[in-house]
Amino acid sequence: MPEKLCSSKPGTEGIAVLTVTGNSGGSAKELLHALQLHIAALSGKPDVKGILLSGGHDRFCRCRLTGSKSPQEAATLSGFGQSVMTNLEKTGRPCIAVVEGECSGLGFEIALAADFIVASESSTFGFPDIASGLIPFCGGSQRLSRLVGKSKTKELIYSGELLNAEEAHRIGLINRLYPTGDATVQAEKLLTHICTRSPHAIRIGGEVVNAGYDIDLHTACLLERDAFALCFAGFDQREGMQAFLDKRQPQFEGN
Amino acid sequence: MPYKKLRIETVNRVGYILLDAGSRFNKLSITTIKELKRAFLQLEQDDMVNVIVLSGYPGESFAVGADIGQMVHFSPPDALHFAELGQSLFELIESCSKPVIGALNGITMGGGCDLAMSCDIRIARETLQIAHPGARIGIITGFCGTRKLPHIVGKNFAREIFMTSDPYNAAEALHMGLVDRVYATKDFWPKIMSFAERIAENPLPSLSAAKRLINAAEDTDLRTGCLLERETATHINSLHY
Repeated sequence: MPEKLCSSKPGTEGIAVLTVTGNSGGSAKELLHALQLHIAALSGKPDVKGILLSGGHDRFCRCRLTGSKSPQEAATLSGFGQSVMTNLEKTGRPCIAVVEGECSGLGFEIALAADFIVASESSTFGFPDIASGLIPFCGGSQRLSRLVGKSKTKELIYSGELLNAEEAHRIGLINRLYPTGDATVQAEKLLTHICTRSPHAIRIGGEVVNAGYDIDLHTACLLERDAFALCFAGFDQREGMQAFLDKRQPQFEGN
Repeated sequence: MPYKKLRIETVNRVGYILLDAGSRFNKLSITTIKELKRAFLQLEQDDMVNVIVLSGYPGESFAVGADIGQMVHFSPPDALHFAELGQSLFELIESCSKPVIGALNGITMGGGCDLAMSCDIRIARETLQIAHPGARIGIITGFCGTRKLPHIVGKNFAREIFMTSDPYNAAEALHMGLVDRVYATKDFWPKIMSFAERIAENPLPSLSAAKRLINAAEDTDLRTGCLLERETATHINSLHY
């Protein structure tokens, strides 16, 4: 059942915890469908300010990949998986993935679709399914190579070896490294802190970063110029700047 | 016409543009941005200069963004024009034929961070505090930062920096790749000068060609980039036989 593979619950101060546990028997397709439903539900809730993407206790998403029966089936699954990851990027809320243990295969692809990853010292990352002939199919190869470079991505995908947390931190795969068992608490703190910032600026900023990354500098800067100007038609800009001048905490509305 | 917000010094083929707004922070006001454009044009045309260093030394800050007291009243068209002015300065710095070193002597925030990112190389004093705090005041940057920061530090660090709006120190900036080197406070300026002078000893046509090619690499596919490199190298390298 989808509920067992994926769950979401409202936490404190507008932080929703989206847990992608998967299980050893669950298929990637079932997990992706469940994840899709939860993303849609969270996106429709105005009181959700931030999303903490978690894998539960030890492993970040335990779903094993299995080969597809036909190329058509594999193509459909890949297309669907890629669209789910895109939707995860497009919720308009800050989304931090927190990893406490092994984060591999599909779980790694899901973590890569978050805004950034924080992890504990016991975490590991990789794509071990190459041993069964499987390569990433939810955008993981593209997101990872943009994040850590082509060579490191090839090293990980070719070898199937897992990268340890210290190395993952050194190469910028994870933004912050915490002692074992401490990552979830710290990630929630960080996300709560981020949620005190302007939701409008975070949403627009995230969209412009994503849209501008793969296009030329000149066009990206035009896009940014217009998005910047648009901020000055909203509430958050006036409130944020007035609060700064008054030396008080701003009360943002998100527009 | 004299400058009010900065001064220019030239030593051993290095031109120094030193921001000095007379306050603790070097705010990127419309006047400051216009003076910076003029200063870069002046040093571009100065045959005695091979390398440009941009800094707020010996002050406490490199540069911060616009005056929030003024920006709070901006209409959307005001904001659009302000972004255009800032972006035109950064285009000028990037298309300048001479290498530009950002010597980040201290507080570098918002538009100041974008100014630093338009430099070819960034070197921080160990007291660096660098931030992109737009989300704290309800805006995003309009000075090319949303495109440049993700290409310098990767999307994930860029998103963290924008989302938290918090200041990061020199060690963190070095780890993320936001600065290329960190120098200790006591010998920051002598080391900046000697680094800039070492670069300035090299032939300017070669430095300019390398700058143009590396900037072009970002927006060009590998094959076209290699074609450009071959044409440029044919011309430049034949000058030195």
